[in-house]
This record gives sequence, structure tokens and C-alpha cells, in this order.
Amino acid sequence: MKPVPPALAALERALAGPEEAWIRERLDLDPAAARAALPVVFPALARRAGRAGLSGRIVVGGAHVDLGAWRRCDAVGTLLLHAADPVDDATLVDLFLRGDLEERTILLRAASVRPLGAATSRFLDEVQRTNVGAHLEAACLDHDLLVRALDGGLLSRDRFDRLVLKAAFNDLPLARMEGVRERPGAELTRMLLDLATEREAAGRPVWRDTLRLAGGAPVAGTVARVLGALEHGDATTRLAGAEALLALRRKDLAAYAAERLPREHRPDVRAALERAAAL
Amino acid sequence: MKIFEPHIHMFSRVTDDYERMALAGVRVVLEPAFWIGQPRTNVGAFVDYFDTLVGWERFRASQFGIHHVCTMALNPREANDDRVNADVLAVLPRYLEKDGVVGVGEIGLDDQTPTEERFFLAQLDLAKAHGLPILIHTPHRNKRRGFERIIDLIRDAKFPWPHVLLDHGNEETIPLTRDLGCVSGFSIYPNTKMDVHRMVAVIREYGVERIVVNSAADWGISDPLMIPKLVQALLRAGFPDATVEQLVWKNPIAFFAQSGRLDLAALDRPPTASRRETHDGNTILRGQDPDRS
Repeated sequence: MKPVPPALAALERALAGPEEAWIRERLDLDPAAARAALPVVFPALARRAGRAGLSGRIVVGGAHVDLGAWRRCDAVGTLLLHAADPVDDATLVDLFLRGDLEERTILLRAASVRPLGAATSRFLDEVQRTNVGAHLEAACLDHDLLVRALDGGLLSRDRFDRLVLKAAFNDLPLARMEGVRERPGAELTRMLLDLATEREAAGRPVWRDTLRLAGGAPVAGTVARVLGALEHGDATTRLAGAEALLALRRKDLAAYAAERLPREHRPDVRAALERAAAL
Repeated sequence: MKIFEPHIHMFSRVTDDYERMALAGVRVVLEPAFWIGQPRTNVGAFVDYFDTLVGWERFRASQFGIHHVCTMALNPREANDDRVNADVLAVLPRYLEKDGVVGVGEIGLDDQTPTEERFFLAQLDLAKAHGLPILIHTPHRNKRRGFERIIDLIRDAKFPWPHVLLDHGNEETIPLTRDLGCVSGFSIYPNTKMDVHRMVAVIREYGVERIVVNSAADWGISDPLMIPKLVQALLRAGFPDATVEQLVWKNPIAFFAQSGRLDLAALDRPPTASRRETHDGNTILRGQDPDRS
């Protein structure tokens, strides 16, 4: 078996289990043979390697990944790609486009620890276009792929914004989109607030992280929404409002935090309000 | 009674059929890859069709509480078409490993040409390589001779008979197949092929061991409720519940479980798909409220 970088050792530990001999046989192939086998091996991965959950965190070449979202088949798929490297972008895209829901999920998880490239970009385009929940989660959550792609120039600000908006549309939690909260943008805020308005008009729930991102890059209407959230009956919305108020960093708004504090009973909301009041 | 419908082309059917089948007890459908009513002119058309069988159609069935599995193949009719045959054979290995694929089929003979035989034998090799049973389409014209030729080809290839389902049989062909150790399939149509009454007579004469029955419903005049109707006819004729259950549930499961890819515990329950789920972003709802549809 091709040596695995120390950063991927946690994935290697997942090899122990069902069908281990079948998996190791494929990992032992020389890279050319491993590449040739990928189109037939990937379709069987979820079935053979199984979906048992992993745990822990890894840092691979600057990529930060929470393995709590990974299954054994994701780990095996990533190691198979490593065994087959160099795998060119065309091969990766072919695997993705010919893959079923599981194969695509595995490739997206693997992409979060592999070098960014044209295939990564195509994967993200497909995720954006197809709107599959499992693929959005694999592409956006529990790692910092989105922000690395933005910072590295693979994703334009517009594509990044649209992916985050799609994640919001599907109610994915901002807390699991590593680094995204630190990349607010005025256009993203505008889109998120428009989505919130549409949802409210339809009597539907609003993405609960809307204000957290909006507070970092406010546009017209943001402040009114943040202040209104402080009085919301739902504590998670009040918390988002208090955190957004803090992110706005406006001394002239500190009085609103102070006014709410005596009536706020939730400790986490109070903590955010106290910091906002002290600005 | 739970029903495993082991041959139906849901690609060509409407959602009403799924709903009626679920109400009539159909718990699992097996969709063999086949002809779609007109010739395909390039391999991409097959790839899209195969993707439908392992993707959208599985999703669509699950939305009605029905498990969907399939078999993959280059069908014998289009095996004669040099525009597509070799390229389809080349893409089959990756599809034969997909989840939900439990066999190679429909393969076999139609016009009974040398080209059909070449691609039939190539697909027997694929079935061996991927450890899958085979579902065999037998000719609708010159049927007895076609059956005999298929049997010779399988015997010469030393393909294991317990992994063979010889489909579209009738009273004329069943004597040919009983001693082989294969499974004999019968397709019941409203007006052609076998009908319910003839099928009851076959069961009375031969029993239910290694026999499966299907509607083979497709894009033509056919009836996806043929197996529930046969169940009623068999019960009315006095067959015990256990015998009927073996015919319409246990036998097809036993055959396709040889793939190692049927989750028998899961088949015992309807799939629990939410209508909020999507497949590639698409739903069956056409704008309806997922909680009220």
C-alpha cells in the first residue's frame, strides 16, 4: 500500500472492519491500476465499506476537517484516490458526473482534504445546480473548503455568495461552515435579507443564521432587523440578533443591548448582549 | 400479501401506477434495463437511462412506499445495433457495481442473430465477473427454438443454472426448463402472453418451486396490477396463503438475493422516504405541500 501522509492516518485507522481484504486489495494496486479501477470501485464503496461514522479532526495541507461528518466509505474513497494519485481533473469529474448520490458524497468529502483544482470547482458548480441536501452538506459543512476556495481564487465572491445562499435556503447551520462567518459580504447580506423577507411573507421560517452573517456586512435594513430580533419570542433568534448587534460594532446601538438585558433570561443571549452593551 | 414484482418497466409508467401497486401490496419492484420503445442512437442515451434506473426511478418508487431494484444490460434487440452495442458493453461494468443493481438483464435473444449471441455471451462473462444472477429475455417469435438455443449457450458457457432466470415462459417452454435447476419466469399480460387463468393452471400442474411471475408492464398495453390479480385468482382457486406467498415474495427474493445486495430486513418494511426529500433537486410534488400530498 502506498504510504499515507501522517495527516491522513486517522482515515487509515478506519480501514479495520467489514470487507477490509477487498479494500486493501484495491489500495495495494499500483497507481495506474488503481486509477483504472476507480470507475468500477467507486460505485461499490458505500455498499462494501459501509456508512459507519468516524470521529476526530484532521488538518491536511491547510485544510481543516471535522471527521464527525464522515462515514467509513468516505475515508476509503479518499484513500483510494490517494493510492491512485495523480488523478487528473477529468477523471475526477467523470467519476462525479457518472456517480450516484453516494459516490458524489464520497467525492465531495474527499475534495475537502485534497488540493483545490478544476475538479473541485466543477463539483461545487454541480452541488449548486442540483440542490441535493446530502451534497450540500458534504460540500459546505464540517470543513473549510468554501473559504479556502474563496481565499485561493477558485471561487469568485459571487459563486461563494451563491453557495452560501443555497446553504441558507436549505437551512444548513452556519456554525458548521468553517470560516464562512468571517467572510461576510454586502451582496450576500442583501440576498439573505431578501430570502428572509420572502420566507416571512409566506409564513415560513427564516434561516436562523441570517443575522449573524448580515451583522458582519450590513446593508439597508439590517439594523432594523437586528434590533427587532432582540425582542423575538424565539431565544435562538434573539441570540442571533445579539451576536449580530455585536458584529455591527456600533457604539450608538449599545443602548439597545442595555435596554434588553434586564428582561433577557437566557444566559447565552445575556452574555452576547453584555458584550454589545459594553462597546 | 407482500408482493415482489420481479419484472416491470416503471420508466414507462405513471405515478398512479405506483400508488395503485402500493395499495395492492406491491412492496418491491425490479426493473430490468430494456428497450424503450424506439432505437437509441448513441451510448449517451443508454447512460441517461441507466442513471434513471439507479437514481430517479428508485427515488420515485420510494416516494410511494415501494423499494426499487434493477438489473442492467444491453438488451438483445439493441445488441443488433452497431451504433450502440460495443459502447454500451464498455460502460456496463461501472453500472453493475451500483447500489440497487441486483442482476444482469434483460439479456438473451430476440431475433436470434449471431450478433445477439456474441453480446449475450459477453454479458454472461460480466455477470460472472460481478457475481450477479442473470435475467433472460426469451424471444416472442420462434420461442421454443430460442429457448433451446439460450439453454445451449448457457450450458456451453458453464454459467451456474441457479443464477439463471429464464423469463417470458409459457406452457410450451416450461418442460424445457424444469430439469435445468434455473428459475422459470412467466409474464402475465391482459390479452397476450400468459393470462391469469393459464398461470393458475401452470401452478396447479408444476407447483411454485423455482417459479416467478411478473406483469412485465411497460409502455404498451399491459397491467401493473397483474400480480395482485393473480394472487386473488390463486387464493380463489384454493391455494394456501403460504404457497402464494412463496410464489410472489419468497421466490424472487431468493433468486435476486444471490447478488448479495438485497437487504432482506429492509424489504420487509416499506421505505420511509419523506416527500420533503429531493432527487437531484427534483421532487414528485409539482408544487404540492409535501405534508399533505
